[in-house]
Amino acid sequence: MGIKRGVSLYSYQQEEWFGRMTWRDQLKEVATNLDGATGIEIISEATIPHFPFPGEEFYQEWRFEMERWGLEAVTMDVFPDPLQFRRDHLMNDREQAERLRMELRIAKKMGFKNLRILGTPISVVELALPLAEELDVRINQEIHHPSTIRRPEHPTPFDNGKIMDIAEYIQKTGTKHYGLHPDFGIFKKEPPRVYMDYYFRAAGEKHWAEGSAETIERFRACKTQEDEEALKEWAKQTYPKVFNNPANPFALEELNHAHVPVEDLKLIAPYIYVCHGKFLEMTEIPGMPGEYEDKSIDYEGAIRVLKEIGFEGYIDSEYEGQRNQQDRGLEYMANEIEEVRRHQKMMKRLIGE
Amino acid sequence: MYDSFLVRSDSLENFEENGKVAGFKFSVRIANYRGMFLSLHNGYYCEVDGISYPRSAQRLEVNGKPPRSFEDLMNHAVLEHWDMQDEAFLYVYKDGGLAPGKHRVGILESSLGSYGTMPGMEEIVKNPPDPSEGGSGKTFNVCYYDLELQN
Repeated sequence: MGIKRGVSLYSYQQEEWFGRMTWRDQLKEVATNLDGATGIEIISEATIPHFPFPGEEFYQEWRFEMERWGLEAVTMDVFPDPLQFRRDHLMNDREQAERLRMELRIAKKMGFKNLRILGTPISVVELALPLAEELDVRINQEIHHPSTIRRPEHPTPFDNGKIMDIAEYIQKTGTKHYGLHPDFGIFKKEPPRVYMDYYFRAAGEKHWAEGSAETIERFRACKTQEDEEALKEWAKQTYPKVFNNPANPFALEELNHAHVPVEDLKLIAPYIYVCHGKFLEMTEIPGMPGEYEDKSIDYEGAIRVLKEIGFEGYIDSEYEGQRNQQDRGLEYMANEIEEVRRHQKMMKRLIGE
Repeated sequence: MYDSFLVRSDSLENFEENGKVAGFKFSVRIANYRGMFLSLHNGYYCEVDGISYPRSAQRLEVNGKPPRSFEDLMNHAVLEHWDMQDEAFLYVYKDGGLAPGKHRVGILESSLGSYGTMPGMEEIVKNPPDPSEGGSGKTFNVCYYDLELQN
């Protein structure tokens, strides 16, 4: 046994958007070019045509193709969109639960064992749990940056202690159909180069590549919280269009260290069923030809701790670096297929298959 | 996302209504990775040659149906999905349409999809934001395209 490898088809979103790969092509790529990856994750409305009413033929084709390639349907990511009925009201808990139940039924028909939710409260999950148990489809809360695992000292709407609330709820009720789904983006080590480059370009900085590289270099030199604050001040002064610009809201945020220690996974170990292997850019490791790493995320630490706690679920590659390379010509865009292949190769190495 | 690709370069045309040129249209693609229920679409910030056109002057042609106002989509398209693979057309009313030649078109999609209930959402129900404020789409800047009128 051990940790299993899968791919979220989110990784191929650009190929899908440009009509270069269909979901069938994506399944084939996972099954034939990733040296033993067996798991598939999708975003329901991104992959399912005419969502939420694709017709019986789609479900048959899906199950046929999954069977054909020997793939396992791991997770289906869903969204609640509480403004769907904004013509007259904000969705209440009962309506959010009904949408979740709709997704549970779709997941069941496609063979998925897990749903991924993000902003859905416990009160809504509670209403959908009886159906989740009946269908044997688990609902997992993603732990996504800027959320942390522990209860934060200073709660914000996006980091409010919800993860520990859920862990306590699962422990109290003993349910096997509510769980947690860490996204490795919480273990950020440094600003991803592709993000930083984009923020500089979006701000109209002519020497974007140099400015971006200089900022990352200075970030690496930070040792303390004070260094980090000084860096932010330097960035705002030196590159105001990038770091002091309301139209570029996420640039300064990238200069925060992630504060989730990989060891915190141990606090929630029994409730982790799947993980997002989020990544932004795979580069060759100096001195190790053909071996790759993502400099911005602590994969070694995360996988080491998952092995220590005996995790045997799937880590699904979730490539997200393409989005910030679509502001120039086609020739500058990322190669999603190659990035996922490199990422899988890295995971295989770190898992120790 | 897709900053350079949201509008197809050969898609700008004038359109007629009742035998008269009533405005112009161009293709639009979704600026996210998942598609959306159309009731969540709050229209576009849309400017052409420096003049902006309000949501009330806009219609969206999508899913093979005649162009619809964003009011109509909000009220009736609650279970109709715009798939992320599909192209739509934005119609903009302007008497006489655009003059022949090149035009600079800027758009920003304002869609209201979400991971969950957020503070301030009740207010969005009462007073939808102006499309110039953007939304939850994954492109945050106005994207500009130099387009040649095709007709």
